[in-house]
Amino acid sequence: MASKEILKIENLTTYFYTWAGVVKAVDGVSLDVREGETLGLVGESGSGKSVTALSILRIVPRPGKIIGGKIIYKGENLLEKTEGEMQQIRGKEIAYISQEPGTSLNPVFSIADQLTEVIRRHQNVTKEEALKRAIELFRIVEIADPEIKVWNYPHQLSGGMKQRIAIAKALSCQPSLLLADEPTTNLDVTIQAQILELMKNLKEKLGMSMILVTHDMGVVAGVADRINVMYAGRICEVASTKTIFRNPLHPYTRALLEAVPNVALRKDKLKIIPGTIPNLISPPSGCRFHPRCDFALAECASTVPPLVEIESEHYVACIRAKEFTEKTVRGVKR
Amino acid sequence: MPTKREGFKAIRFKVHNIAKNSMTKYVLRRLLYLIPIFFGILIIVFVATRMAGDPVKLMTGLNPRITFEARERLTQYYGLDQPLYYQFLKFVWEMLQGNLGNSYAIRGGTAVTTLVGNYAWETFKLQLAALFFSLVIAIPIGILSARKQYSKLDMTVTTTSLVGTCIPIFYMGIVAILIFSYFLGWFPYGAAHSLDPTRYPFGSYLLDELWHMFLPVAALTFAELAPVVLLVRSSMLEVLRQDYILAARASGLSERTVIYKHALRNALIPVVTYVGLYFGGMLAGAPITEKVFNWPGVGRLYVEAISKLDFPVITGITVFVTLMVLVANLITDIAYAYIDPRIRIE
Ligand SMILES: Nc1ncnc2c1ncn2[C@@H]1O[C@H](COP(=O)(O)OP(=O)(O)OP(=O)(O)O)[C@@H](O)[C@H]1O
Ligand code: SF4
Ligand SMILES: [Mg+2]
Repeated sequence: MASKEILKIENLTTYFYTWAGVVKAVDGVSLDVREGETLGLVGESGSGKSVTALSILRIVPRPGKIIGGKIIYKGENLLEKTEGEMQQIRGKEIAYISQEPGTSLNPVFSIADQLTEVIRRHQNVTKEEALKRAIELFRIVEIADPEIKVWNYPHQLSGGMKQRIAIAKALSCQPSLLLADEPTTNLDVTIQAQILELMKNLKEKLGMSMILVTHDMGVVAGVADRINVMYAGRICEVASTKTIFRNPLHPYTRALLEAVPNVALRKDKLKIIPGTIPNLISPPSGCRFHPRCDFALAECASTVPPLVEIESEHYVACIRAKEFTEKTVRGVKR
Repeated sequence: MPTKREGFKAIRFKVHNIAKNSMTKYVLRRLLYLIPIFFGILIIVFVATRMAGDPVKLMTGLNPRITFEARERLTQYYGLDQPLYYQFLKFVWEMLQGNLGNSYAIRGGTAVTTLVGNYAWETFKLQLAALFFSLVIAIPIGILSARKQYSKLDMTVTTTSLVGTCIPIFYMGIVAILIFSYFLGWFPYGAAHSLDPTRYPFGSYLLDELWHMFLPVAALTFAELAPVVLLVRSSMLEVLRQDYILAARASGLSERTVIYKHALRNALIPVVTYVGLYFGGMLAGAPITEKVFNWPGVGRLYVEAISKLDFPVITGITVFVTLMVLVANLITDIAYAYIDPRIRIE
């Protein structure tokens, strides 16, 4: 399992310089993606998951700015590349599926236009070949009548179909790493399952690595190999999916799991996490979760807990993590 | 498999044809809508002018020796003794044959079609040139301003545009004449041509024409520029926030493709509407510009015709202006459908 990392992020810091103040959306995030794995990036809305994904591609929208850290992709730091070099990487090496399938396709161009454009940007092929390839991709993402559908415009297609096309577009140049930002959030539950299944299969087939961003523990449960839990711009727990579900150590991870109906540890007690995600302009000091944490000590407000390996392959950023392992999970007050 | 490729082509052709057909239908439907609108406007203007006064009285008012019979004869001659509906139907009947009647006041009854033909081009020349320059200048500035939102450049552009929007064209025109004609003497005071051919710059009629056009076109362009810049800027800002722009960047497209292909096409949709409306405004605003620059256009002709109750000219220009505005609307709608596929297939 200790395979090579395809992507290694160290201390990534991305801030938004707004009128109201500096939004510390991503504040010292480190994570790695191993070759061939699916990494789940989980956290509440506003925790900085999308900004992390956009930082990897260096397309953080204004007034956002990456101000520090390293993003090592296949041994090279992406933050040291020129814009031209990045354009060669985007879509070809690292592809991105955005959060909103409905709006991620340009409404005024046909699907054929948009797909062939990307294919021809990264591969030296003629228009006809690119079109053929687009139609093939439609088959791969299981769209019926690809020869006709490819000429449609986005508004003529359903949400599920658009998401399939977004996937097709992302896969068009056989990327090594796929950043899927909540690829199923805005879809019906049944279509959600289909799309997840499809992505899982395609990932295997093409041997890609993937970062699956979501706020839904249910989604990552079936798809991710490992999970990074993110809270208010920082990573708070990293472990294999199995460990996260069986033995979550960070209080935030536990709260997240209890907030999910179908994986709640106890069916009768579906909790919501009290409080709201903090304002990232002036985030809480010390452990950012402390105002909402049931286990907070005075110390939590002053020290930033580092991410430490509590057991093999299980990292937790909580000063009380050790205690939680000593007692059984059930023994801790919930 | 060679047949497969043939298949794509056949399908592409078919889909293309359907789109083309739906476009034709769309245009035809829009044209049908225009007919009642056209006649509605015509009736209103026809009735309103005829209620405004009696042109025969106006023509003969200064002649103390005119007899009652002579007046009656004139009224009969112009057909003004007939009931209104009859006058209107007669007018429509002649209009359909391409005859808009003859002026009461200008050079022994010049045909209205001739008048409009002569004056319309002068108006168009000014307005189209101004529209062209304002678009060509405003679109790139608007895009740049949006891309560099809140930068010094953007601040300067927005402030200048806001000030520019507030300056009325007649004021701008008068100031321009004052500076460039009166003080500097670079440009003529007005009119479309030099009366004396020996005054043509380098003896060229064309250069003379351009020389006369310069100030009015510059003033109009300047007045037009500001709102277009602001429109392009805000529309572009809106588009740049969209997910498909992020997606386009994420797929490795160059900044140029992202801005000038993906963003611009969407950002221009409201600009098309604006240009469509501009045509209406341009003909409505023509009297002011043409008055300031003493320009022989339809606007000036219209004002003169109204002051003399020259019914055929008033109605004739109304027909012309209405047609122009309706055609402009139609072109706008077609351009719309061309740019935005969501409108094409409804
Ligand atoms: N353009 C922007 N300007 C200012 N702040 C921004 C901008 N984009 C994101 N942020 C801030 O960055 C923080 C993280 O946002 P991000 O979109 O990464 O959250 P997320 O975890 O993806 O949430 P969601 O589940 O809602 O997608 C938020 O607090 C947000 O306010
Ligand atoms: S460090 Fe303290 S506040 Fe933070 S999660 Fe652990 S116990 Fe709670
Ligand atoms: Mg997000």
